[in-house]
Amino acid sequence: MTQYAMVIDLRKCVGCGACALACKTENNTALRKNGQTHNWADFLHETTGKFPDTGYKTQPVLCNHCSNAPCIEACPVEPKAMYKTADGITMHNAERCIGCRACQEACPYSMEEVTRDGEYGEYSVISYNEEGQPTHPFYTENKPLIPGCTSSGIDTARAYRATPPHRTKYIDQDYEDVRRNNIVEKCIFCRHLVVKGELPYCVDSCPAGARIFGDKDDPKSEVAQLMKKHKSTVLKPDAGTEPNVYYIRKYSAK
Amino acid sequence: MKIKRRDFLKLSAAAGAAATLRKPTLNAFAKDDDSKMAMGELPGEWKPSTCQGCTTWCPVEIFVQDGRAVKVRGNRYSKQNDGKVCPRGHLSLQQVYDPDRIKFPMKRTNPQKGRGVDPKFVPISWDEALNTIADKMMELRDAGEPEKFSLMRGRYTYLRDIIYDVMPKVFGSPNNISHSSTCAEAEKFGSYYTEGYWAYRDYDLDKTKYLLVWGCDPVSSNRMVPAAIKKLGDVIDRATVAVVDPKMNNTSAKAHEWLPVLPGTDGALALGIAHVMLTEGIWYKDFVGDFKDGTNRFQSGTEVDENTFEEKESYGVVKWWNIAVKDMTPAKAAELSGVSAEQIIRVAKGMGKAAPNVCVWMGPGCAMHVRGGYSAMAVHALAGLTGGSDNEGGSLQTAKIPVNKLNKDLLKTFQDDLAKKHSKMKKIDQRGYLNLPAISKGKSGGGVATNNVANGILNKDPYEIKMIVGYMNNFAFSCNGTDRWEKALASVPFTVHLTTNASEFSQFADIVLPCVVNKYEKYGFVKTKANRYATCTLLQPVVEPVWDVITDETEFPFLISEKLKERGFPNLYDALTTMYVDPETGRKAKNGKEFTEYALKYYTAPLWDGKKDSHGDKINGWEEMKKRGMWNSEAYQYKSHWGGKYKTKTGKFEFYGETLKKALGGHAEKHNVDIDKVLEESNYTARGELAFVPHYEPPHRNGDMKKYPFIFIDYKSRLNREGRSQNCPWYYEFKHLDPGDVSHQDSLKINPADAKKLGIKDGDTVRISSIGGSGECVAHLWEGVRPGTVAKAYGQGHWAYGNTAAADYANAKERGVNNNTIIPWDIDRLSGSNARNGGQAVVKIEKV
Repeated sequence: MTQYAMVIDLRKCVGCGACALACKTENNTALRKNGQTHNWADFLHETTGKFPDTGYKTQPVLCNHCSNAPCIEACPVEPKAMYKTADGITMHNAERCIGCRACQEACPYSMEEVTRDGEYGEYSVISYNEEGQPTHPFYTENKPLIPGCTSSGIDTARAYRATPPHRTKYIDQDYEDVRRNNIVEKCIFCRHLVVKGELPYCVDSCPAGARIFGDKDDPKSEVAQLMKKHKSTVLKPDAGTEPNVYYIRKYSAK
Repeated sequence: MKIKRRDFLKLSAAAGAAATLRKPTLNAFAKDDDSKMAMGELPGEWKPSTCQGCTTWCPVEIFVQDGRAVKVRGNRYSKQNDGKVCPRGHLSLQQVYDPDRIKFPMKRTNPQKGRGVDPKFVPISWDEALNTIADKMMELRDAGEPEKFSLMRGRYTYLRDIIYDVMPKVFGSPNNISHSSTCAEAEKFGSYYTEGYWAYRDYDLDKTKYLLVWGCDPVSSNRMVPAAIKKLGDVIDRATVAVVDPKMNNTSAKAHEWLPVLPGTDGALALGIAHVMLTEGIWYKDFVGDFKDGTNRFQSGTEVDENTFEEKESYGVVKWWNIAVKDMTPAKAAELSGVSAEQIIRVAKGMGKAAPNVCVWMGPGCAMHVRGGYSAMAVHALAGLTGGSDNEGGSLQTAKIPVNKLNKDLLKTFQDDLAKKHSKMKKIDQRGYLNLPAISKGKSGGGVATNNVANGILNKDPYEIKMIVGYMNNFAFSCNGTDRWEKALASVPFTVHLTTNASEFSQFADIVLPCVVNKYEKYGFVKTKANRYATCTLLQPVVEPVWDVITDETEFPFLISEKLKERGFPNLYDALTTMYVDPETGRKAKNGKEFTEYALKYYTAPLWDGKKDSHGDKINGWEEMKKRGMWNSEAYQYKSHWGGKYKTKTGKFEFYGETLKKALGGHAEKHNVDIDKVLEESNYTARGELAFVPHYEPPHRNGDMKKYPFIFIDYKSRLNREGRSQNCPWYYEFKHLDPGDVSHQDSLKINPADAKKLGIKDGDTVRISSIGGSGECVAHLWEGVRPGTVAKAYGQGHWAYGNTAAADYANAKERGVNNNTIIPWDIDRLSGSNARNGGQAVVKIEKV
């Protein structure tokens, strides 16, 4: 069996954000709206202690592709819109999704409405595209800054014949590269790249080499080796979700 | 939303069945047995260019699908970023596809100028724009006053020579003003007056055993950011990392040591470390030398006889000890700097043990002070004491990049008498005045004092400026003391701005010309270095601009030269078409586009024409150069300047600055005063011999601390693409990547103890005020700042630039508050730098 997993080496991670921004460019995710972040990759921060003995750390977060995924269990449609692929990715089928958001409610790593950010411990793995609203309103608006002189969102999208204009076009059997309204969306481990033997784009883009991806059931894989070498942790182990995103080592040397 | 979801839950599977009818297009794939083969990215091409979001100047590649830029990565050939970029690299896609970009040239129709005065811009043709500009330029020449034309440069490539040197000089103006001193000239002062190197250093992270980062956050900004990101984790595992910064930053969060220096007291802390190294006898003796009899005579408070010591690669260590170090005990340094004596001793001993593989990474935070020149020297002196200067595992200079230079002799042949005479007049930034030595590279008035241009313009001293052409600059936002800039720019009769967005500077312009976004649409080249490799990397248009834009540094001067020729002044046209012929064919450019490529070929030819060994990558011809997009040097040789080859007066690493003494002496002599007078006029406290050594200067604070009780700390967001990424929505969404920051707000970090005293709660809107100005931001209570200090990242506070950057562009209402409004106008007069660090700004905080 294959079980794709990610190991995040916190000693190497510097919390720079390249992974999350790269993800937005690969997957054309929307800007935050209606309490939805549309950040398939995001971050938690923690400040501890008192000045000058202050500690600070960042922890990247993403869909945990749980082996015991509550989002799949909660999905009410048949066949399920949230399902497991043969290689262990928690996949979302955009076509079958009815936008009920039961998955979002069931997922311990998601929130129905994110009002703040990782500085306050808030993020959401699953986001929802509001019914009847465009996915990228930033590029459908027609509000030129200086009428007659500057462009506008819609003007830019039309000129480049793409919304968003930097849309990375890809084909996935379950997913469109820009999701339609009234469905949820989340990280799919860049399945459209992985099936081609490439890495998820956040892994490929991490300048620190802190994100390692592979089959944890293959003892020769780097993820398996790292998990063997280092003690690893997962987010909310008590939730019983059996995440496949693992964290190794300490962020800070202090 | 919630109601919808619950309704659906009740409907359960029935709704699911209905929903399957929605997207027939996807069914095609779902039914395809071989569906996985159909999946994947659609075709595209990775094309090389250069990212100028910070001063790393990364060679990059951009993925282009259907003529659109969609993704960014590092250049596969780069030996500095190994094919990766930092978050800024990705963020820049929202710049090239910014909905607020200017599409056409525009002109002001409201003659009134000022902040909040609507310029009433209307679109005009390129012809009208260029004719108007050329007419204004000819008026100045006809009146015999071409010096009243000023070219202001912001972010540039090395094709700047054309717009910045050739154009003003042939026209007859001395006023080509760069932005250089807004960034780091005081930092360069530190390395120049110790080791003779007026440039940023390179850092040998792979070999270092002790990394001392001072006044910057290498994984976020400053230099070689992707390399620092890649290597920091390994450096922490292998070596010791200590970070001096008044607030917690990304590097200090991970480091072994955080030294939270009180802003402006870096000199004391550096001297305290030096004091420990000398008294403990742990300086690096193969570099600094030793006492002739091997007995350490460095004892706190005790003078040492110079004749008892023999130096090797350095000069004046005993003089330095006697003048500035002997009394700076760890206890005294701790009292002044707020860093504990135990920590000072621990860090000094750690550095001594790791010597000479000690990397002192000096950043602007310890230099860009009102009296920052000497503290930059004091920090860099530690690179000397540890022998890490120009050494393995230390801070390095650069390998050579053999590109062609501007042909100055040829340029002169195109200057008429008026141009020859007037281009040598005094400059509007008053560099070289008695109170503004700006002794860059040892020369009085040798460097720019960007921030002082505002004074020159306002006081019409040395004369009036009647016309400005600015490109990729935004001095009304990026220079501290924005109120002064707003007044100065409003007073200039005719201003042209070459820009991508209607920025703050543009609001004072009479004509605004839309330009390319440099990373995606522009030709140029830059020189950079990291990991011992010097790099020349090209900027190339990887996508066709859809708006009617031009390339600022090359097309604009070319187009203007044609217009000036029509008006009877052909000199600029003749200069450009003669100086920049195609080096392969000898052909003269017929238009601005051809000219741009010929100019780029002229400069970079030695890297690809195969005529001489470039001592780097072998590149066969121009087409291959464009395809690769970059050239790497051979690895820099350690100790290239040991053995008396430092470019200082003594040839040695100077703890006693003979080079500085000569420079200050030259400036004093020019003004018929003594050096003490120069220092007094320059707002420094040192007198006598102290002026020639790295030493502690008491910080200069602008404002009465009884009224403004908090010291303000300014720093760079890791998402800043200088001042240009704040119209990108992703900037706000990921703002929490800056430690202590919160997304979608301009966060002022206050220590919880201070907040309690002020009755301020987390998330409260507060008004921050200094003698310079005030504005509103949001309090975030955070233990990453010292009580008595508050910190805010530079970047937000735009009142122009775009719908995202400004709260209300039409009414000039800012989003957050610009740090450069809070930080009052001031400069470091010895280097000419803008002074924004060192706690020169003191502020009060009030709950709104």
